[in-house]
Amino acid sequence: MTSTSTGGALSDADFERFTEYFYKRTGIHFTSAKRYFVDKRIDTCIRNSPYETFLTWFAALRMADRTDMLQQVINELTVNETYFLREDYQFDAMLSTVLPGVLAARGGVSRMVGPLKILSLPCSTGEEPYSIALRLLEEWDQIDHVDVEIHGADIDSEVLAKAAHASYGERSLQRVPKAWVNKYFTSVGSGRYQVDEGIRSAVTLHKMNICDTAAMKAFRDFDVIFCRNVLIYFDELSSRRAAENLYGALRPGGYLFLGHSESMSRISPIFTPTRLPEGIVYQRPTGAT
Amino acid sequence: MTRVLVVDDAATVRLYHTSLLREAGFDVAEAANGLEAVEAAMSTPYDLFVVDVNMPKMNGYACVETLRSETVGTAAPVLMISTEDRPGDADRAYQAGANLYMVKPVDAERLVRVATMLTAGKGPAA
Amino acid sequence: MGLVRKTASTEPEEVVPPEPSVETLLQQVQDTDPELRREAALSLVEVAEAVPVLLARVGVETEARVRDAVLTTLAAHDTATVAAGLAVHLASDEAGLRTAVAEALATMPRSAPDLMPDLLAAPDHDVRVMTAMILADLPHPDAKTWLLRMIAEDPHPNVVTGAIDALLPAADAGDVPVLQAAVARFPDDPFLRFTVQAALPRLTGTA
Ligand SMILES: C[S@@+](CC[C@H](N)C(=O)[O-])C[C@H]1O[C@@H](n2cnc3c(N)ncnc32)[C@H](O)[C@@H]1O
Repeated sequence: MTSTSTGGALSDADFERFTEYFYKRTGIHFTSAKRYFVDKRIDTCIRNSPYETFLTWFAALRMADRTDMLQQVINELTVNETYFLREDYQFDAMLSTVLPGVLAARGGVSRMVGPLKILSLPCSTGEEPYSIALRLLEEWDQIDHVDVEIHGADIDSEVLAKAAHASYGERSLQRVPKAWVNKYFTSVGSGRYQVDEGIRSAVTLHKMNICDTAAMKAFRDFDVIFCRNVLIYFDELSSRRAAENLYGALRPGGYLFLGHSESMSRISPIFTPTRLPEGIVYQRPTGAT
Repeated sequence: MTRVLVVDDAATVRLYHTSLLREAGFDVAEAANGLEAVEAAMSTPYDLFVVDVNMPKMNGYACVETLRSETVGTAAPVLMISTEDRPGDADRAYQAGANLYMVKPVDAERLVRVATMLTAGKGPAA
Repeated sequence: MGLVRKTASTEPEEVVPPEPSVETLLQQVQDTDPELRREAALSLVEVAEAVPVLLARVGVETEARVRDAVLTTLAAHDTATVAAGLAVHLASDEAGLRTAVAEALATMPRSAPDLMPDLLAAPDHDVRVMTAMILADLPHPDAKTWLLRMIAEDPHPNVVTGAIDALLPAADAGDVPVLQAAVARFPDDPFLRFTVQAALPRLTGTA
């Protein structure tokens, strides 16, 4: 389609109706400060659709609650920026303090029942769960004695496809030591490197909306969850619901890492903050609530 | 210098208490609710906490209880200042672990006097 | 040992345990196990028939984290029934309950506004203090108007200072007279005077 009646800009009322609908479906709230960004991305969606105007497109999206259309809008409107070993000090904390704490709480390596479970939600294009895998393989002295499951999840199906393919360019790999690239990646041409099959197949990917309480019940008994750089996009109610869903996904005593500019102190009091040398991490309280 | 953490969700109250205490020579930091105060107290040892009651996320009583619990485990004095004056409020504050409970508005001199008294030995300007 | 993939044999991927029926959930909200209550309250999201049971739970729930879950689910309804059912707790003697309820109401821009005439006229000034707290965060175009009215008319200084605190982030030069009138109404309140004085340079552009 070549033309749309939006001309790339929605009316105020349309903007409001759309953002409200989008919020209900995803928990992501766009204020008018994001107006330009939203207008442009919606315009792209309309151009890629058989509809000519915002109104007909939006009606189709809503009336049939068309999941393919909605997914496309989600894919357009989410911020997917991520890279390997981002906010690395948290992985330091995981290795030096959190994992030893988890093993101790679970009765030690010899008596532990079931694997150690780590979740990266949202995982975007996969850099975060693969970073966790790399650091465990390279630097965790218990990796040969413990089974570790790593899961990645995101609401955006396109980033998940990229995460599954796991091939990355220079920008994303900047912080990865050369030796690790040589050891765990294969060059696939034009400066891109693909994570080796061994690691790729060890990371389980899921499509998941963190605000969807029913769907989030698939995630249980995680020892460690990384939920970084998504809650900042949510409004009050969605971030609360997300926090509550994360609580349910953790084992009692399990650990939650947020992005370095994020804090539970503005979201919800249900976790117990714990001070580590590397910063604050949150724990689901143990025992009776 | 004696370090004070002023905990209040009202930016205007934080500004008022902070300026009064700074003028008197205290080293003051701020937190906008109980949870922020708990996180701040985990990273920095404070010599005095000045805590409001009605705050979102974690109210003043819960905040003081957490400051006293093993999560933080501080024995530093706590001054609670409330807009409310309900029967039982003061008891509730002392039960939680506050050293002193006062009702707003707190006049300037009194705040500084009480802060100095509670941190006696440390003194405001060391 | 080492990295392992989730074993597919036991659970096929993405299985969500079957959601209990609404009836079961409504019972679980009253269970003796707080974790079950918490999960049930969250799961009852968007279930209109659960509203009365959840509202009844707000006042009696003793676990803060269960109450938070109940309020998260209730606030999403944003209806007159929920708003009115929550507002009664603004007068609670329990600080945790009244602040949690105020926070929930502040996320209900559709239904909280209708409560304002009553809340602004509440005989208990503590309720009016909580009302200013709601208006501070309520995303509604009239929030500022109500705050200005509180500042101009409320007889209790703590309500007025609460309203000023809520107003300031959105205040502009046009609000200066109302603020100055408040100082004049309570000449003995040093905090009020200080607050207005500190805000004036920014508002009048002389900062
Ligand atoms: C900036 S990336 C963060 C990736 C990684 N955690 C990091 O810190 O680098 C944000 C991701 O959040 C995802 N996202 C947004 N809303 C979501 C939701 N409701 N549920 C799950 N993922 C969501 C987006 O698709 C995007 O991939």
